[in-house]
Amino acid sequence: MDLIHPHTAGEVAEALRTASAGGTRLLVVGGRQHIDKGNPTEVDGELWTTLLDRTIAYDPAEMLCVVEAGMRIRDLMAMLAEGGQEWPVDAPGDATVAGVIAADVALPRQLRVGTLRDTVVEMDLVMGDGRHVRSGARTVKNVTGFDIHRLLTGSLGTLGVITQVALKVRPLPKAVRTLVTAEGGLELGRRVLDTVPLPAAVLAAPDHIAVRVEGWPEEVAEQASALGGITSFTDADPAMFPPPLFPDAPIVAEPALAPSKLGSLLDAVDDFRALMGVGFAWVPCADADELSRLRARAGELGGIAPVRRGPGGLSDSAVPASQIQRRIKAAFDPANVLAPGRCF
Amino acid sequence: MSDLTAARRDLEAALGADAVLADPLALRLYARDASMVEGSAGLVVFPRSPDDVVACMRVAAAHDMPVVPRGSGTGLAGASTPIGDALVVVTTKMNRILEVRPEDRLAWVEPGVFNLDLGEALAPTGFTYAPDPSSQQVSSIGGNVNTNAGGPHCLAYGVTSAHVLALDVVLADGSTARLGSEGPAAAGYDLRGVVVGSEGTLGVVTAACVRLTPIAPAVRTMLLDFERVADCAATVSAIVARGVVPAALEMMDRGIVRAVENFAHAGYPTDAAAVLLVELDGLEAGVEAQAREVQAAAREHAVGTVRVAADEAERALLWKGRKSAFGAIAQIAPHYHLHDCVVPRTKLAEVLAGIYAIARRHDLIVTNVFHAGDGNLHPLFSFDLSVPGTLDRVLAAADELVRLCVDAGGALSGEHGIGLEKRDFMPLVFTEDDLSAQACVRSAFDPDGRMNPHKVLPDGARCGDYAAAALARAGELPEGTWI
Repeated sequence: MDLIHPHTAGEVAEALRTASAGGTRLLVVGGRQHIDKGNPTEVDGELWTTLLDRTIAYDPAEMLCVVEAGMRIRDLMAMLAEGGQEWPVDAPGDATVAGVIAADVALPRQLRVGTLRDTVVEMDLVMGDGRHVRSGARTVKNVTGFDIHRLLTGSLGTLGVITQVALKVRPLPKAVRTLVTAEGGLELGRRVLDTVPLPAAVLAAPDHIAVRVEGWPEEVAEQASALGGITSFTDADPAMFPPPLFPDAPIVAEPALAPSKLGSLLDAVDDFRALMGVGFAWVPCADADELSRLRARAGELGGIAPVRRGPGGLSDSAVPASQIQRRIKAAFDPANVLAPGRCF
Repeated sequence: MSDLTAARRDLEAALGADAVLADPLALRLYARDASMVEGSAGLVVFPRSPDDVVACMRVAAAHDMPVVPRGSGTGLAGASTPIGDALVVVTTKMNRILEVRPEDRLAWVEPGVFNLDLGEALAPTGFTYAPDPSSQQVSSIGGNVNTNAGGPHCLAYGVTSAHVLALDVVLADGSTARLGSEGPAAAGYDLRGVVVGSEGTLGVVTAACVRLTPIAPAVRTMLLDFERVADCAATVSAIVARGVVPAALEMMDRGIVRAVENFAHAGYPTDAAAVLLVELDGLEAGVEAQAREVQAAAREHAVGTVRVAADEAERALLWKGRKSAFGAIAQIAPHYHLHDCVVPRTKLAEVLAGIYAIARRHDLIVTNVFHAGDGNLHPLFSFDLSVPGTLDRVLAAADELVRLCVDAGGALSGEHGIGLEKRDFMPLVFTEDDLSAQACVRSAFDPDGRMNPHKVLPDGARCGDYAAAALARAGELPEGTWI
């Protein structure tokens, strides 16, 4: 198996031109933290982005930073913290910036910080045939042209190799608390969501609920007191959010569906973590059968259930407007060398 | 029988005679949007359902007519100005709010629903639809989606794209698709994300699933005035540097303040060089804390008076001043040209100085009212077109303005779009390969180029030959093929 470990975007382009000319299929790899999410794909080599790890620009007053694709989340967060800011992605420190983007990871604090895709404002990429393309702009707001960077977000390395991005960042909250209730369940989760004003996350489990509150110290106190009005709670270490998701399970699925349908999906499972008001859940599965039952149910409810960890990928469910999806793949990767079949 | 007559007959057969306009006055009215560009409409049609839109597409294909989707026609870049006797598909009669589901934090709406009407319908639920373009009384959700509209409150809440979960679209070939999903993730590439902001070039949106945002329990609105424009601009960055992201942060210069004050009588200080309208929201205690930070930041930059709205009535009055700006400028001169570009927030003072210099050079009046927190400028040149040579000066100033913003590291448009007005500036910010990749995306949705041709991309931009050949092959693959 070939290993390509480029230092520059120019080297990425050269590698892809060669791969396209020779029909060498490649898997683009960052920190390997979200690699299970895609469908299984047969490749001839890997292209590692981890040497593309420079900071191109960061001025806290712009609330934007421009970094290369392979920068580790740990290093990015350290740099941003010095500017009193964060990229609100709660991903493992070993993950890379572009890995997180290509996997379109779920943001546990979405209620407060929004979605990952809205934080990516500019992207440099190399298409399958080796052409450099830039999309978006280095401004917080921009409607200039077609947003190719949105297609690449969540594309699992199948449309091009992301080499650099400009990210919208935000101020670190002045105060944070993770409040853990003594009881759990979706019903209580819903009441917590309706009671605590503007929480960052309400993560429900069968036997407890973790409520993340963030903001100015006075706000956080107000939120905690609202929670105290309906149930008892204790404070957990705020640095441990989100808590590890089922580290011992062989498979962890990540269903995504309209929030009110979580109940119908999770009725049938023993353990789960459900992001109230958002519609993500995490469910441990013992084996492929359990996963496929969960998937079938998620499908009936109008949702999907890719894996977060373990075997099983995205599943073989249909993608909407598949002809358009296929045309886009063909235009960006004409020789079909970027992880064929990994996305659909 | 001419093609247009035959197309009209087919449309009337499919949608009813009252759904089609073909008289010269109507065609003239629909030959432009709110931009300065005029085109020519072949026929104007008002579908009432997705099936009607499908029928429109089939008729357009049968008669080889280009299709131009249109909402309320408030677009400022010419994206709904028809070119070449196009079929103008007006979605204003599809104006029902289909479903409001607070438990899912979403609502399904038809494209013709007005932005403000949606907000008002949602109010009893405790949720809102956050994007609030200044045109919100008359602009439609379909138009907002197609321009990826912004508005004052997008600083904290994000532009339209952050508030659209899914779209039902009719494509150029008459097929339909649901892009995105009601849940937080969807299978495949984010086609929803490229359709938002695509200015009607990829398909016709027949329904939008929008995100509902909880209404913050507390809000504080303040008006700060400054003797120097540079101090006002510097305060914007200073507020952000203190870790405060206001819900809105709007700047107005003296020219616009005076026009507004005459009109709205909101008590704006007409002797200030510039004012900042700051709105903070969240929980009561947090809003207090943020207000202290804002005032401290402003004091570092020689703020004059700080007026805090004492109640909802005063808040509404301050916002009336801001939102009536474009009506008020009619007092200055009979015509105006409104611009929209974005620069890095830290370059605001420098770029504003450049804008005043351009206006002086071309003997035009310029006023500024804009989304300062986003770095999104809206210079407004006022003039009288009956004075010979004026148009040339206006266009020359526009050209210099765009280059000034691009040279400062900015973008061509923050929220109005590219349309016809700015498409020939696209090579200033994109390479040939960048534009070619964008053309490929467009071709993937609409291989025949029927949807809103000549918009957004310069006419030379093509999906490259190699990619185009692969794309054509992909189109022939059977459904379900893995590639």
